[in-house]
Amino acid sequence: MFAEIKNIAKMYADKKVLANVSLSLNKHETISILGKSGCGKSTLLKIIAGIEKQDEGQIILNGTDISQQNPNERNIVYLFQEALLFPHLTVFENIAFGLRIRKHNNGKIKDEVYVMLESLGLTEHSVKMPHQLSGGQKQRVAFGRALIINPPLILLDEPFSSLDTEIRSQMQELYKKVAKEFQITALFVTHDIKEALLMGDKITYMHDGILIPYNSKEDFINDETTGAKKEIAFWNSL
Amino acid sequence: MQTKSSFLFRLFIASLCIIPVLILSALSFSKNWSFPSLLAEEFSTAAWVDLFTPGNSISVSLVTSLIIALLVGAASTTMGFFVSKTIAYNRYRRSLLLMAYLPFVLSPVILAVCLKYYFIKMNVAGTVWGVIIAQLVIALPYSIIFFTGFWNQRIKEYEAVVSTLGGKPGYALRKVIIPLSKSLLLICFFQCFLISWFEYGLTSVIGYGKVQTLTVKVYQFLTEANIFYAALSCCLLILPPVLLLWMNKRIILRYLN
Repeated sequence: MFAEIKNIAKMYADKKVLANVSLSLNKHETISILGKSGCGKSTLLKIIAGIEKQDEGQIILNGTDISQQNPNERNIVYLFQEALLFPHLTVFENIAFGLRIRKHNNGKIKDEVYVMLESLGLTEHSVKMPHQLSGGQKQRVAFGRALIINPPLILLDEPFSSLDTEIRSQMQELYKKVAKEFQITALFVTHDIKEALLMGDKITYMHDGILIPYNSKEDFINDETTGAKKEIAFWNSL
Repeated sequence: MQTKSSFLFRLFIASLCIIPVLILSALSFSKNWSFPSLLAEEFSTAAWVDLFTPGNSISVSLVTSLIIALLVGAASTTMGFFVSKTIAYNRYRRSLLLMAYLPFVLSPVILAVCLKYYFIKMNVAGTVWGVIIAQLVIALPYSIIFFTGFWNQRIKEYEAVVSTLGGKPGYALRKVIIPLSKSLLLICFFQCFLISWFEYGLTSVIGYGKVQTLTVKVYQFLTEANIFYAALSCCLLILPPVLLLWMNKRIILRYLN
């Protein structure tokens, strides 16, 4: 297994947020984590990224236990619901940010950033400031900023939830294209059943801090607790 | 019509600010003025010329005030920036922030009298360092309160973004946090500088009269009825704030808009 999350548990005050969550992830695979707001899915991603500390459990990445490493040592990129572009930097500099941390030379940075801008259809926006971009464009820049450092694992925390339906659909297609092109390994958190089915090679369901993995999308749909059957029935009834 | 009345209103406000300065400037260039004459009997540059003679007490006070205000402004802004972060992300945020308001409950003179004993014990009463520490008692909490609103969830998320991209906290501070807070840092420095620059109560009590800042000097000249030197000191007193205001004009206007 490329990434293994073993028995992660987390409590806030007296409330159990995650209860022995375990998950395995193959290389170049995207797993969707579906769940309602407050079920603990964002907390799980933050723990994997190192932004929050788990009470118990281990995170193994490529055979190495990274559970106690600082977030900057893990090389795992976390994409928030909002693009969170640095407002004082241009699109180019936002994408180049991770490369500048790694002290790449300017020529290499320029080449790599322009390749990324091209892949994401952002070449004409390279000198723009974040406030001059639309919501979808901002998310594309955030993708570029994450992908350019070639992280072994990307964590996407409802990255399209703030976008309108049309842009959201375009971004979902773009993600599928980019995931294939850059051979991404990712965990994709969403509260939208359709998005979970569309984005994940595999699907899991989180409820009250308990994560249920499914062997196939059929198993997920057939489980009444996920609400997938109800959703399908609703659309069929129209 | 509206433009004309708006212009007149602006002129009125500007006059309110400028006329006292003009009167003070005129007084500083005067000699032998007695009530009820409107103007002084003689015009004199003596007070201003004296200012440039070595060891002149007003120029010594000007330099002392500048050193104290610059150090208080820089120290309170820097410390307040980082302490406010610790407070903003602390689970006891509200209680800690309440403590930052405590120095403002008392008037500076009463606060100084309360603290005087400790300054004598620390052997810093009557010294420049003592006055700096005393002024920090007011300027630092002000700075902490000023910056607490800056450290919000969004800033926390920016820090998280930088760390997951591989940057250490210091890198996030240099490349993201400081650039984002630059205008606030400048405004805070400017305001803490002014707090220190115009401070009288704490300075006179803790300074014991040995640390003669420009504000202390103005009061001293007033009690001596030396209105010409008091006017000269006042002119110097308003000079650095006006200069800072001019330098910060664009930032402040942008902030207000």
